[in-house]
Amino acid sequence: MARVIISSVGYTRVGDHWDKSILDLAVEAARKALKPYPNIRPEVIIVGNMFSSQSSKQEHLGALLASALNLTGTPAFKVEAACASGGVAFNVAYSKVRSGEVSSALVVGVEKMRDLDVSEASLALSMAESAEYTQFMGASFLSLNGMLARLYMETYNVSRSELSAFPAIAHTNAATAEHAQFRKAISVEDVSRSPLVSDPLRLLDCAPLGDGAAALLLTSEEFNGDDESMVEVLSSKISTDIFSIYERDDMLRFNATKDAASKAFSEAGISVEDVDVLEVHDAFSVSAALSVEAMGFSKEGEGAKDAARGLYALKGRYPALTFGGLKGRGHPVGATGLYQIAELWLQLKGRGNVNQVEGCRIGVAQNIGGVDTTSVVSVLARR
Amino acid sequence: MAISYWRRRDRYYRLLGNRCTQCNSEYYPPAYLCRRCGSESLVDVEMPTTGQILTYTILREVMSGFEGQQPIVIGIVQLDNGVKVLGQIVDTPLDALKIGCRVRLVFRKIRDESNVGQIYYGYKFTALC
Ligand SMILES: [Zn+2]
Repeated sequence: MARVIISSVGYTRVGDHWDKSILDLAVEAARKALKPYPNIRPEVIIVGNMFSSQSSKQEHLGALLASALNLTGTPAFKVEAACASGGVAFNVAYSKVRSGEVSSALVVGVEKMRDLDVSEASLALSMAESAEYTQFMGASFLSLNGMLARLYMETYNVSRSELSAFPAIAHTNAATAEHAQFRKAISVEDVSRSPLVSDPLRLLDCAPLGDGAAALLLTSEEFNGDDESMVEVLSSKISTDIFSIYERDDMLRFNATKDAASKAFSEAGISVEDVDVLEVHDAFSVSAALSVEAMGFSKEGEGAKDAARGLYALKGRYPALTFGGLKGRGHPVGATGLYQIAELWLQLKGRGNVNQVEGCRIGVAQNIGGVDTTSVVSVLARR
Repeated sequence: MAISYWRRRDRYYRLLGNRCTQCNSEYYPPAYLCRRCGSESLVDVEMPTTGQILTYTILREVMSGFEGQQPIVIGIVQLDNGVKVLGQIVDTPLDALKIGCRVRLVFRKIRDESNVGQIYYGYKFTALC
């Protein structure tokens, strides 16, 4: 097994890129990731994307990108797993380098969301769920999370201000992150008073729609010479759960995340206490809370309460969403899992500027598709 | 609507799920394989038409195709056989909604496609509280 190194990263700012197409965004991120290593020609290109067919009437993204980068001949393809598309693309690229099949891989996540109006984007996102039994009834992805939030608050006696803690942490960190969609701090009160969109969820509980692309160059160890601060991928695991939340015995358990995290931590030889920096899938305040519980950072029912206690703040025990997370940095769905990894890379390299988590050595990223129907958990370490 | 509606109309019109002939577990939507015992032997069975609200939300930003219907109340209902079903909750004042409310199944229009005149029907729930 080869040791897998993240040699470089590239990304666009997340936001409204009215003047850029899905290919423009993917090329921009990919070229930034390739630039530091002009002599490396990636042996495979993997693209993470969820709904380019909806947003851009474009599929076949792998060959499209390979051609644009003058990398024809290179195997190139898209992988899709709803909002986990980026994390799954990373996992596939990692596995190919890890196995020795290739010694370098370019992985690019991209999503173009703002060409759709809000109701079309909502429909596109709902394709992560059952078309026949969820979408058909008018239940958007947002509404599923609204129902989950109500159940969570009721079951564990979680207050409105406790639920608002994760979005407030996200925005505090996004305010000083150059690539974030919202470089603006918001308070717990701002979240708690924002308009209801799918109650009890309010506008500021929910990640925004945005365009963006993020890319990584993965290589086996030998390309990296004696770089003192190599970032190594220790493990990456995918798991899946029963498809719809209403088919599950306990709707408040993120079983896929629990399973993926347990396997990823075990393979990396780490435990929860070893984690220095954490990127969780905070598409909604409630999903952040259930995610940290499933991975073991908080006890059941304590995720939002722990966030309110400061556990996940930049100076807390487990700094999370360190450049704003999905809520503040933004959530261009197929790119999100790769923004998370790129941000861990910045942290582990010590390039976090004002958002730097001092002395961090182990980072964890968790990226989910659907309501934790697919989950990818990856562990990175500074060598 | 992109999905083939007619293929599933018995499921939508009558809440037709299925039951495992080995362990009697019941499913809606119907399961392909029993999730409890793995059996491939499942037979169609109609679900009970009453239950209670486990959770719900009032959706104010609707998806494409549901314009003009907002706000939509969506709930997850536990039927009296224990099976959980997602559906809209209608004919109920918003301030009367509560977790634990009893509901019963009703047959309603889900949406129409004004450009082609297609009308989609299916189940919803109405609260008895
Ligand atoms: Zn059975």
